[in-house]
Amino acid sequence: MDTALHNISKITNTICPYCGVGCGIGLRVEQDKITGVEPLANHPISQGKLCTKGWSTAYAVDPIDRIKTPLIKENGEFRPASWDEAYQVITEAFSAAITEKGADALGIIACARATNEDCYAAQKFARAALGTNNVDHCARICHSPSVAGLRQTLGSGAMTNSIDDIEKADLIVIFGCDPTENHTVLGGRIIRAKMAGAKLLVVDPRLTRLARMADLHLQLQLGTNIALINGLLHIIFANGWEATEFLNSRCENEEALRAKVKEYPPERVAAITGVPEEKLIAAAKMYTEAENALLTYGMGITQYTTGTNNVISISNLALVAGQIGREGTGINPLRGQNNVQGACDMGALPNVFPGYQDVTAPAHREKFAATWQQELPENKGLTSLGMTKGALTGDVRCMLIMGEDPIVTDPDQNHVQRALEALDLLVVVELVMTETAAMADIILPAAAFSEKEGTFTNCERRVQLIQPAIPAPGEAKPDWQILGELASRMGYEGMDWESAEAIFNEIASLSPLYQGMSYPKLAANYGLQWPCNEQAPNGTQLLHSKTFSRGKGRLIPVSHADPAEMPDEEYPLFFTTTRLHFHYGCGSMTRKSPLLERETPNGVLFINPEDAQPLKIKPQTRVRISSRRGEVETRAVVTDEVPPGTVAMPYHFREAPSNQVTNNAQDPITKMPELKACAVRVTNLEQETE
Amino acid sequence: MKAFLLEDIDQLREHLASQRTLFTPQCTGGANELNWLPLTSETRSTATERPILPTYPAKQFFFPEREILFQFDGTNFKETLPTPTPQILFGVRSCDLCAIAYQDQFFQQDPYYQARRKATLLVGIDCHIPCEGGFCPTVDAGPFVRDGMADLACHQHNGHWLLMAHTPEGEALLQGMNLEAAKPHHITQRKNQQQQVANQFPSAAHIETGIQRINQAQVPAETWQAMGLQCLTCSGCTNLCPTCSCFTSHDRPTSDGYERERSWDSCLYDAFQREASGHNPSASAGQRVERFWFHKFSNEYKKAFGRYGCTGCGRCEKTCPGVIGVHSVMKRISAAL
Repeated sequence: MDTALHNISKITNTICPYCGVGCGIGLRVEQDKITGVEPLANHPISQGKLCTKGWSTAYAVDPIDRIKTPLIKENGEFRPASWDEAYQVITEAFSAAITEKGADALGIIACARATNEDCYAAQKFARAALGTNNVDHCARICHSPSVAGLRQTLGSGAMTNSIDDIEKADLIVIFGCDPTENHTVLGGRIIRAKMAGAKLLVVDPRLTRLARMADLHLQLQLGTNIALINGLLHIIFANGWEATEFLNSRCENEEALRAKVKEYPPERVAAITGVPEEKLIAAAKMYTEAENALLTYGMGITQYTTGTNNVISISNLALVAGQIGREGTGINPLRGQNNVQGACDMGALPNVFPGYQDVTAPAHREKFAATWQQELPENKGLTSLGMTKGALTGDVRCMLIMGEDPIVTDPDQNHVQRALEALDLLVVVELVMTETAAMADIILPAAAFSEKEGTFTNCERRVQLIQPAIPAPGEAKPDWQILGELASRMGYEGMDWESAEAIFNEIASLSPLYQGMSYPKLAANYGLQWPCNEQAPNGTQLLHSKTFSRGKGRLIPVSHADPAEMPDEEYPLFFTTTRLHFHYGCGSMTRKSPLLERETPNGVLFINPEDAQPLKIKPQTRVRISSRRGEVETRAVVTDEVPPGTVAMPYHFREAPSNQVTNNAQDPITKMPELKACAVRVTNLEQETE
Repeated sequence: MKAFLLEDIDQLREHLASQRTLFTPQCTGGANELNWLPLTSETRSTATERPILPTYPAKQFFFPEREILFQFDGTNFKETLPTPTPQILFGVRSCDLCAIAYQDQFFQQDPYYQARRKATLLVGIDCHIPCEGGFCPTVDAGPFVRDGMADLACHQHNGHWLLMAHTPEGEALLQGMNLEAAKPHHITQRKNQQQQVANQFPSAAHIETGIQRINQAQVPAETWQAMGLQCLTCSGCTNLCPTCSCFTSHDRPTSDGYERERSWDSCLYDAFQREASGHNPSASAGQRVERFWFHKFSNEYKKAFGRYGCTGCGRCEKTCPGVIGVHSVMKRISAAL
C-alpha cells in the first residue's frame, strides 16, 4: 500500500462480484492497486447505491493473501511449482483414473462467482475433454429446486420479471428470504416502494427487518411452506378469489389442484403452520385483491427436502391468483451469487448443456458434439453431493473444484472432509487459501473479477460485462484459460480460445437464450436480459407475458411433508441457517475487510429469550450446538428475531462452521440438501446444564 | 484579492496543468457521472449547463480511504509520511470547498493530512444553477465560492469568466497568462448574482425545520427508531459525505513485520462504538442514525467549526439505498409529531 499522495489513475466501471443483484461499481485504481470503489449513478439497477459488501470490494481482492503461483502439496506442505509441473501431475492422475474406472471417476465443480466464460469452459472441459457429465456447482444447494420446479410449471426457471417491476407493484410478497439483508440494493428498492405506498406481505419464521416493516407477517413454523400455501389456495378457491379467466385461458390441471387443497382447511393449516386463521385469510385476500403483486422468494423455500415441491407450490399460488405475466407481478427467485444464474445458463450442471438443453436428448447431444468436434457422454452426471458420496465409495477418484469452499458451505462438514480426503487427487482453483484449498493436492491461482474480462448474469437474467482494472497478481490466470491449457494436455484442442469474447461468441451460437448478444451490444446497453434473439433483439424484461415457456402454466398438486429431521427429546430445538449482511458465503472475501470483520463476532447462535432463559444463556454466553452429525461451539445472541423453538446460525465463519450440524438429507428430485431445518441440542458451556 | 477576466476556462486549466499535476471531475460512464481523475490528453471539457457534483467530494485527496501510518520491521518503526508532488484540484464546487475548510480544522494536527493539503492548490468554480438535490444556501455553503476557501475561483458571466486570485500561490499560478484585469463592476455583478441563484433553489423548509427540531430535541425516539430500521449499514453516506472524518486502524503483516493502516470508518456500524465487553452505548440503529444527523446539524458543532457539518451537497440522499438520506430524513423529522 503506497504512502504517496492520492494518485488515482483511472476508474474502471464493472459489476460487483458479490450477490445476484449485479450492481454497477467503479473500481478506483491507484498505481496498479484497487484502493476503493465508486457507485455508478447511471447504472439501471444500482442507481448510485452499493451495499456494505460492495463498498468493501477493494479489500476483498487485496493482493495481501492472494495465491500467486501453482502450489503442490508435498509432505503435508505446499510448495510453489510451475504450471507445467502442476498440469503434468493433474493430467497423469486424471488419465489414470479414466483408464482404471472411466471418465465418470472424475468430477468438476464450477464456480457460480466466476464468469459465464469460465463456467462454459468448465462444462466443456468435463464433457469434451474428459468425457463426463459430472459437472455441478453451488446452485445445487441454493436454487436447483427453482430450476427443477419452475421448469415443470412454467417451462423456465428464472426470475419472471425484472428488478424494475418492484416499483410497479402495489403488493410485494417476501417469501422465505431477507432481501434488505442479502440483496441489499434490491431490498432498498423494496423499501422505496413501501414508502411510496406499496404493501408488504412477509412470510418467514423469523422477525426480519422487512417483517417488522410489513403490513402483514406470517410467522410460520419452519418447513411448513406447502401447508401454508395449500391453505391460502383453499381459502382463495372457497371465496372465489381466484383469477378465473387467467386460469381458464392460460393454465391447466386446475381440478387436480382444487382437489388437493380441499385437504387443507384453515383450521388444519393453522395447526401445522402456527399461523392464525385470520392471518391466513387476510393474506389470501391481500394477494388476490392486489392489482399487481410481485413475489420474491429465496432459500426459505428451496433448501428443504421438499424444495422442488415448495417451488411448485409458490408457482401454484401465483398462477391461481393470476399474479404473473404482467409488469409489477411475477415469481422472482432471488439468485444469490453474482453469476449463479449464468453458471446454470452455461450448463455447469450434470443434466443439461448450455441453454438448458438435455444431455440425454440425442438431438441436443449431436448439436454439441458437432460444434465441439467430440463424442459426448450420454448419461446424466453426478451432482456435487453425489460426487462427495462417490468420493467415499471410490466411484469418484479425482475432483477439480473452482472457487467454491464446500468444507465450509456444503452440509455435514465431517462428511465432506472425509470425502475430499479419500480422493486420489483434489485440484482447487482459487484466489486465496480457503479451508477447501488447504485440503487440495494442487492449487492453481485464479484471476479475480477485477483482473479479467467476461460476463456475469444477474438474478433478472441480465448479462453484463465486467472489465479488468488491474493485471492479475503473480501467475494467476482466468479459469477459462487454465481449463483450456489442461484440456489441450488431455488431448482436446477445442478450448484454445484467444479471448473471453471468443468464448462468449461460441456461447451465443449454441444457446438460444444468448443468441442475440455480443460484447459490443452488452457494452452499449448496461447488459441485456435473456432471452435475446431475433424475436427480442434488445432482450426481454418480462417472461411469460402471452404464453408460458411450456405453453400453459401447469398447476401441480403437492403435499405437506415434515423436514427429514424434526425436533425430538434428544435434540429438542429446530436449527436453521441464515446469512448476515456483512459477510458473503464462506467469508473468503468479506472477512478481509476490517470493518466487516469487526462488525460481527466470528460465529454466533441466534436464540430466542424463551429458549435462552431456561438454559441460563445470556448475550455472549459460550454455547455448544450438537446434532446427529456433529457439534460446534460459539457464542449466543439472544434475540426475538428467531421464534421460540428455533435457533439459527450464519454459515460464514470457518471457526464456527454451522455445517458441522446441518443435515444432508436431500430433495429427491434435485438432491438439494435440507440446510434450512434439522434438530439440535443447545448446551450452555458456562454452566454445562442441559 | 486580485481579479482578472478570462475568455476560456479550458485555457486556464491547460495553463495550470503545465505547472502541476492537475485533477478535475471527468466523465467516466453515463452522462451525469463525474469522477475526480487526472487530466490527460483524452480529457474533454466537462462544462455542463447544470452543475453536476463529482461522485466523491475532494476529501480523499487529503484523507485517503486507506493509508499506511507507519511500518515496523521487528526492531524499528519507520515513519511513512506522504511525500506528495504538488497538485491542483481544478473545478471544486463551493459545498466541497467548505467541507475542505471544515476538515482542515479537524485534521489541523494530522501530519499525513497536512502534508497532502500543503501540496495542493484549489481552484473553485461558482454554481449558476442549483444542482439536483443540493441545498447549499440553506447551510451557508454556496452556491458561490466563499472568499478564502480556494486559491483561485472562477465565475462565469455572459460567455466569459471572472477569475479571482485569493492567495499569493493562486496568483503565482497565473504568471504567463497575460490576463486583463477585471473592473469593479464585474465584482459587483458577481456579488449581486449570488442571491439570485440562491433563490432558484427549491424550498428547503424541511431542512430548516429539521435543524430546529434536532437542536431542540423535538424528534420522537420512535421516529429515529423507524428510520434506524431502514438503515442498511451500507456506509455510503459516510463514504461520500464531504465532512465525514471518522477512521479506524488495523495492522497488516508485511514481509518483515507489520504496517499500520488507517481506513475510513462509519458511525452507522454497530461495532463503531461497541466495546470489548460487548456493551454498546449506541446499541440501536436508531441511535446511530440520530447521532449522524446530530453531527451534521447540531449548533454545538457550529460553535466548534464555524459552520454545520453538512454542506448541502445532497450526496447521501443519492447513495442511500434505505431511503434515509438528508432530504428523506429531514422531511420525516419535520413532519413527526
